Amino acid sequence: MEPLAHEGLGRLLELHGRRTPLALGAEAGAKLLSEKALGDGGALKLGRRKLALPSQPLGRDTAQAPFLALSDDVAVLDGAASHDPRQLLAALRATREEAGWRRLLYTPAVEPAEMPLLAYLGVDLFDSLTAELRGAAGYRLEQGDWIPDAGATTAGNRKALAGWLARIRSALEQGRLRELVERTALHNPRVAQLLHHSRELLATLGARRAVEIRAGALSLGHPAVTEWRHSLERFTPPAAGMVLLLLPCSARKPYHWSATHRRFHRTLRELDNWLALHVVSVTSPLGLVPRELEMLHPAAHYDVGVTGHWDANEHAMFGRQLERLRPEDRYKKAIVHAGSASGLLAELLRERGVEVLETGAERPASGAGLGALRAACRTALRGVASLSGRDRSRGEAAGLAQVQFGELAEPLLAAAVQGRWPRLRLEGLANFSPRIGGFALTVQGAAALAAAGGPVIEAAEFQLRGDLFAAGVIGTRGEFRNGEQVAVEQGGEITAAGIARMAPGEMVAMERGLAVEVRNRG
Amino acid sequence: MADAFAEFVNAAKQEPAAHPLDQPVATWTEREVLDGEQVEAGVAILRTRGCYWSIREGCAMCGYFNDTVPGGVSTEALQAQWAQVLPRLAGKRYAKIYTSGSFLDPTEVPLDFAAQAMAEMHAAGVEKVLVESLPEFVHARHMDYGAAPALEVAIGLESATPLVLDKCVNKRLKWDGFTRACANAHTAGASVKAYVLLKPPFLNEAQAIDDAVASIERAAPHVDKVSLNPVNVQRNTVVERLFRRGEWSAPWLWSVVEVLRRTRECGVRVYSDPTGGGTQRGAHNCGECDQALLDGLTAHRLGGPLPAAACDCRGRWKALLAQGGVRRDGAEPWGYRRGFRGGRRF
Repeated sequence: MEPLAHEGLGRLLELHGRRTPLALGAEAGAKLLSEKALGDGGALKLGRRKLALPSQPLGRDTAQAPFLALSDDVAVLDGAASHDPRQLLAALRATREEAGWRRLLYTPAVEPAEMPLLAYLGVDLFDSLTAELRGAAGYRLEQGDWIPDAGATTAGNRKALAGWLARIRSALEQGRLRELVERTALHNPRVAQLLHHSRELLATLGARRAVEIRAGALSLGHPAVTEWRHSLERFTPPAAGMVLLLLPCSARKPYHWSATHRRFHRTLRELDNWLALHVVSVTSPLGLVPRELEMLHPAAHYDVGVTGHWDANEHAMFGRQLERLRPEDRYKKAIVHAGSASGLLAELLRERGVEVLETGAERPASGAGLGALRAACRTALRGVASLSGRDRSRGEAAGLAQVQFGELAEPLLAAAVQGRWPRLRLEGLANFSPRIGGFALTVQGAAALAAAGGPVIEAAEFQLRGDLFAAGVIGTRGEFRNGEQVAVEQGGEITAAGIARMAPGEMVAMERGLAVEVRNRG
Repeated sequence: MADAFAEFVNAAKQEPAAHPLDQPVATWTEREVLDGEQVEAGVAILRTRGCYWSIREGCAMCGYFNDTVPGGVSTEALQAQWAQVLPRLAGKRYAKIYTSGSFLDPTEVPLDFAAQAMAEMHAAGVEKVLVESLPEFVHARHMDYGAAPALEVAIGLESATPLVLDKCVNKRLKWDGFTRACANAHTAGASVKAYVLLKPPFLNEAQAIDDAVASIERAAPHVDKVSLNPVNVQRNTVVERLFRRGEWSAPWLWSVVEVLRRTRECGVRVYSDPTGGGTQRGAHNCGECDQALLDGLTAHRLGGPLPAAACDCRGRWKALLAQGGVRRDGAEPWGYRRGFRGGRRF
């Protein structure tokens, strides 16, 4: 059993020559075998391997923990097809605790439309039972949806289901499963409910995967987006008493590569004391993106249709983000030069008691817009203490490190800050990495974090060349998620730094698969 | 796990509402067959303390405790109830006297009250009386009435499969106990009717049919007739919880007919009068063919042939049965029986 890719709680696994998630009874060489005696649960067949299923849940209240029925190789979530969303989420949340990482998770008789979401939440096995019954009732499966069709057949639905699962697997491999889930949720109330209730679970235990987010109506609940908005709580501006400058986002990411932001930059850098301006971009669904964070995922990796219309959800979200940024305590004043969002942001800032200058420019990057920006900045910067390039870089590094590592950033900030944003360095401990979009830890940096209680992977003592695989992992310390930076320890010594590619329990339990993508070796 | 099941059963129960003690739960008349002849039978349900087992744990499908009085009903109150029941049995040759428990349990129905009731029915010309009892109370000393109509004792076998009794029904009944009760009844001159469940909770449709057929075939040599009882949804039971959650649905009427068809040669009369038939809470089909089948079952119960009807939904029923070996519970997709017509759910 080898995990090939992760997204959310979902895994693309390779085992016995097949890949999961798959649908038993729909795909070649994968099927359910009938029970031999009443209630024994039967078995399933994957290729030539036969795996026993746990016995039927006779007399069991499936709404009470333990939620899963277990056999050696399979964990079954009985009632998954009908449980109400919260109940189903409670059971899914308990999955790894009850079943560990080496059992396949099977949800019997669920609707095809729910399969992308359930796969995203960690389910490995589905079946063709519902699709067969739909066939008998005259419905054909098409892209996860039921189409009335007198010619529908059980065999046809099995084949369509196999195609649907192939689509789920390729989406998972590409990191686009979330998109497929959002798409099914749009027109399926049950999936929408389940997706809504799974936000917290995904944000706390889901894998972080730095793929582009093509934002839609449901992207406000994307775990990376939610996490981003929360991370603003850990952020501090480079220095106290700066002037906050709110600018519009750009289609090109990161923003400072865009034509509009280059024009802004050329305008600003001509001003005296322009380093005391703190640029924060205004965008949906992320909300606010301080300049020093704009290379991070997802700020540098999303795309959204811009309409100039801000709905009530977005309005509320900006309010919440300003609450997290606390501009009234941290900035001397604010300039709003954010195009269509200007009015609502100025209003929100004033509600918080911030002195606001509005440029009033409808087209912020036009000649007139830039003129208005220049004038507003000159006015706002009058009387503001000047900020040196060095102090500013130190402040930017601190803000970025705190967002990336939270409380663990402290030992890193003891190092001298070198270079200028975006190419900042924390001497000896971390360097800017375009792949990470922020600081990549060196071995010394990872060791400093580990000493402060940061995440450590204990590996067997062998010469580490290239990446660390699950077979070599002995244990883990500290908390981390798939996608976060970790230290590798061998024989009591930190020997490498890298990015975790499995969840903590998973890399200990698994015998195959990439556990840590090693980026720096001692 | 048996304990967890008992907890599940108890968690589903609720304290019964307060009931008037001097009124029977219900009385009605229905068509029955007596000695090969159709007669009008008088039926009454007396309000009693109820089944002792339901007070301790109870069975997963049984909501009769809802009609009982936990503190017990005095003999005077029983007599007051009986005074209302007796006139309604006038001119009836067949009577069915139910309690929400065991008529033969002397702690539920005192023996002297039972003897008095039997004597009065005998005097009123009733030829045969049906009472129900758990097998543990079926003993000559509990049926020692003196002058009484012929007695028919109905015993809930439910299933002859220990696993089903233990994990699906929560009934502590041993096969030996059942056959001993049948023998005791016969010795005391009574005839025996067995109740067999169709689709206890947790079983899927195909398992339910197989289990009912096997149970009837095994019970037939020991009894005089068998009533096949498709499980219906009674209030405050495990079945109701599973029904509400969509983890179990009441059996199809096709399944009822199928069990009757497969047990035609078993040697005793087997029939079914589905409680709540044709509704979501009782045995039902697609809604189109339900009434025809229910009428057919009634005719069959009164001596007619097995109902024969054709309907589109039979194909869907067969498709569901084909999954019998791999389906882990008694559920099916919402709206399946009516072919997902009239509203859509995913």
